[in-house]
Amino acid sequence: MFPWQKKKKTEAVAKQKNTKISRSLKENVAYLEEQYLYGTNFDFNSKELRGSTGRYHLFYYSTIIDTKQLNEHIVTPLLETKRDIPVPRIVTLSSLSSVKNMDEVEKGLSAGCVIIFKEGMSEAFEAKIDDFKHRAVEKPENEKTVKGPKESFTESLPVNISIFRKQIPSKDLIVENISIDSRPTMPVSLVYARDLVNEEILENIKKRIKKITASNIRNIEILEQFLEERPASLFPTMLYTERPDNAGNYIMEGYVAIIMENSSSCLIAPITIWSFFHSPEDRYLRWAFGNFSRLVRAIAYFITLFVSATYVAITNYHSQLIPIDLLLAIASSRERVPLPIVFEILLMEVAFELIREAGIRIPSPLGPTIGIVGALILGQAAVEANIVSPIVVIIVALSGLSSFAAANYSINHTLRISRFLFIFAASMYGLLSLLGAILLWVAYVVSINSFGVSYFSPATPSNRSPRDTFFRMILKKEKWRPGFLNPKDWDKQ
Amino acid sequence: MKKLLIFMLLLQTAVLLSGCYDRKELEEQAYVISIGVDMTESEDVFRFTFEIANPEVGSAVSSPSTQEPVQEVVSVLGTDFLSATSAANVSVAKEISLDQVRVVIVSEKLARSKKFIHLMQTAPSIIDLKLNSQLVISKEKAEEFIRTNKPKLESRPHKYFQYMLDRAKETGVIPEAPLVRFFQITEGDADLFLAPFATTKKDPKEEYGAEDNYKAGEVNIKGGNSTQFIGSAVFKEGQMIDILTGEETRFSLMLDTTLPQQDIIANYTDPLRPGFDLAARVQADKVKVKIDYKPTGKTNIDVYVSMHMNIFAVPSTQNYMINSKNRNILHASLQKQLQEEGEKFIKKTQEKYKLEPFYWSLHIRSKFLTIKDYEKADWANKIYPNANVRLHVKVRSLEFGKLLRESDLRKVRD
Repeated sequence: MFPWQKKKKTEAVAKQKNTKISRSLKENVAYLEEQYLYGTNFDFNSKELRGSTGRYHLFYYSTIIDTKQLNEHIVTPLLETKRDIPVPRIVTLSSLSSVKNMDEVEKGLSAGCVIIFKEGMSEAFEAKIDDFKHRAVEKPENEKTVKGPKESFTESLPVNISIFRKQIPSKDLIVENISIDSRPTMPVSLVYARDLVNEEILENIKKRIKKITASNIRNIEILEQFLEERPASLFPTMLYTERPDNAGNYIMEGYVAIIMENSSSCLIAPITIWSFFHSPEDRYLRWAFGNFSRLVRAIAYFITLFVSATYVAITNYHSQLIPIDLLLAIASSRERVPLPIVFEILLMEVAFELIREAGIRIPSPLGPTIGIVGALILGQAAVEANIVSPIVVIIVALSGLSSFAAANYSINHTLRISRFLFIFAASMYGLLSLLGAILLWVAYVVSINSFGVSYFSPATPSNRSPRDTFFRMILKKEKWRPGFLNPKDWDKQ
Repeated sequence: MKKLLIFMLLLQTAVLLSGCYDRKELEEQAYVISIGVDMTESEDVFRFTFEIANPEVGSAVSSPSTQEPVQEVVSVLGTDFLSATSAANVSVAKEISLDQVRVVIVSEKLARSKKFIHLMQTAPSIIDLKLNSQLVISKEKAEEFIRTNKPKLESRPHKYFQYMLDRAKETGVIPEAPLVRFFQITEGDADLFLAPFATTKKDPKEEYGAEDNYKAGEVNIKGGNSTQFIGSAVFKEGQMIDILTGEETRFSLMLDTTLPQQDIIANYTDPLRPGFDLAARVQADKVKVKIDYKPTGKTNIDVYVSMHMNIFAVPSTQNYMINSKNRNILHASLQKQLQEEGEKFIKKTQEKYKLEPFYWSLHIRSKFLTIKDYEKADWANKIYPNANVRLHVKVRSLEFGKLLRESDLRKVRD
């Protein structure tokens, strides 16, 4: 909003701020029915109960509460009671509490409470019997592992917290709620281990969450972009994971998990670049197997970043580096191709990106078409039509395939975009400019911070850590928690 | 600020645009596999022959078979490699690239002339020509060599040179002679440089000279390609002075500490029945050279060669394997044969060439504090020709092939 524009708040909002609950039931009912547009608002219920001991009035959203509990524990006891005793002794729900003003009433209604007013009382009671609809706990879709737990987060905060509590059954696991000053106000939950987490980092995260004033932050995917230090950067500074076991591992190392209602994933902060290359399966597999799969992934990252760029650089500027057999093979297959090598590579890379983008967006009944179109048209037909040479198809397929080996979806984009930068760089001065680009790229990555933690630690600056950076140690030999976080308890054993 | 930005932008454009100046697409270049150089009648002009590979032949399995020839041979006049390259472009459509030159073939006549070193001086000035390409001396004209050399099984010329040179190096009948070694040795001015000797002209020797006592052209081969790579040309001070046979080349490689030792298959006289030969694979360990430098008297050079021998064939059917007495005789005899032949060759280098082809000058350099002292002592003219070279050949192990014992001829012929 521009500064010269005055903030306009609706009258209803202004009025509700400090309205106390009146002794007159009629007044209260009239007020709430006006506030909630009763009659127009389809699922807002306003129900009068005339029991033998007095008049009650209930307000609730019929779509977000459990009707069975409403009937059994609220309506029936209120109607059947013979003596005039306080409401908390009639309603047998553990979640019953009293509310003093309309502000709280309003919060309670949105959270799935039934509000009970009684004639002649200047307080109301809210009974939380919410029944928000959400997906069941399902298998993780995007971070698959063969060995390891198969649970994933779902779009319900209580369910997600319950999974956390199951993972870490300890009094030190704290779930702290902070509200974002947005419209409507949304709670954000920070999950951390009290005896490990670094207070400075925790405060930093809290401060940033409190600073947000934008409206419409309804899930952590949006929240992530509001929290990040460099939103335009190629590198994500928070880890987005849908695996509770992964999140649990991070919490026990001293990281902080951020969860919200409506998100089937959580954010881990602060994070270093290495975490994007690690899969939880690396730890579940035995030492040799886990490290082997890390090695394969490491190779895949290098291929996806550099193979196309190196091909462009070497063929254009350093043909003496190519073994003569390969050189003659490339030369002969390129004799009929009209495009320069850079454009040949870019053409195929763009085509591959198209297949990938289309593959995500395409409705699943049409899915197989992508495979046929991709393989046939872009692979074989393009070669036969002399638009690209076969070796370029191999190189692009290799770099494309390798990018799928990325353990995290966020870093996948980073690798894909960086690859284009390197191809452009390589086309300028060959390996010289490619190396220059890599140098700048790495210098930039090293300079990034995630909530005050260096992005490249513990490689640089070097620090005590579980030594789980490039390869992991045998678990018994892991002595320290990540030192770059400065957790309260460094010693792991 | 704005001006600065625009200036930086322009600077960047300049960088971007100039970036492409030496970019060349692969298919727009013609790859020369071998260069031949010959003498002409006039003083500073040479005839350069370029053998250009046709990338379309034999490279892709699925590509339609082309009617084009495997290679194109172009021969032009020029004063040096660079001017000849651009002269050849008059008839070759693509830009001629010397990146992939495998061999530089020089005719014997040119190598023996004083002009050779002037020609070679122009080679390193071309960035394209790699200094690890091999120098080969051909008996006939280099142009003729390139035009006549028609390998039967390796249709692509670079493959032929690659296999031929690799294999011949393994058997030890030709030396490894990258251009850079020529410059090292010639500028060091203390050793002889050896280059492979080859020819396509057959001139078979009448007598049978065991398997390696030949120079190129002398081997009596029927059929196949007429090209032969055997023996080496000896260069002293950048000029060719002699030819070594395959056997002599083998010895010089064996005594050289800078060249990798390969296993060599060679024939030796059977000690118990001198009419017969033994076939053996010899694997020499790295040679140890110890020089005891005496500024006034005779310098002692001790050369320690230790070998492992694998006897493959014993045509005389003597029992060397089981009979330990025979085995000892064989061991002593092989040692002696190797020793004698080696000494003979060393003597030849001392008396005939007055210089050695083993790059031993490396071992005496450490005896001097300054280069001046070393140059003053004069390894080439004073020390080596008068030195007392002692060869110590030691056969460390004797192995026999797959056979456990030879057939007993008396039993076979009863």
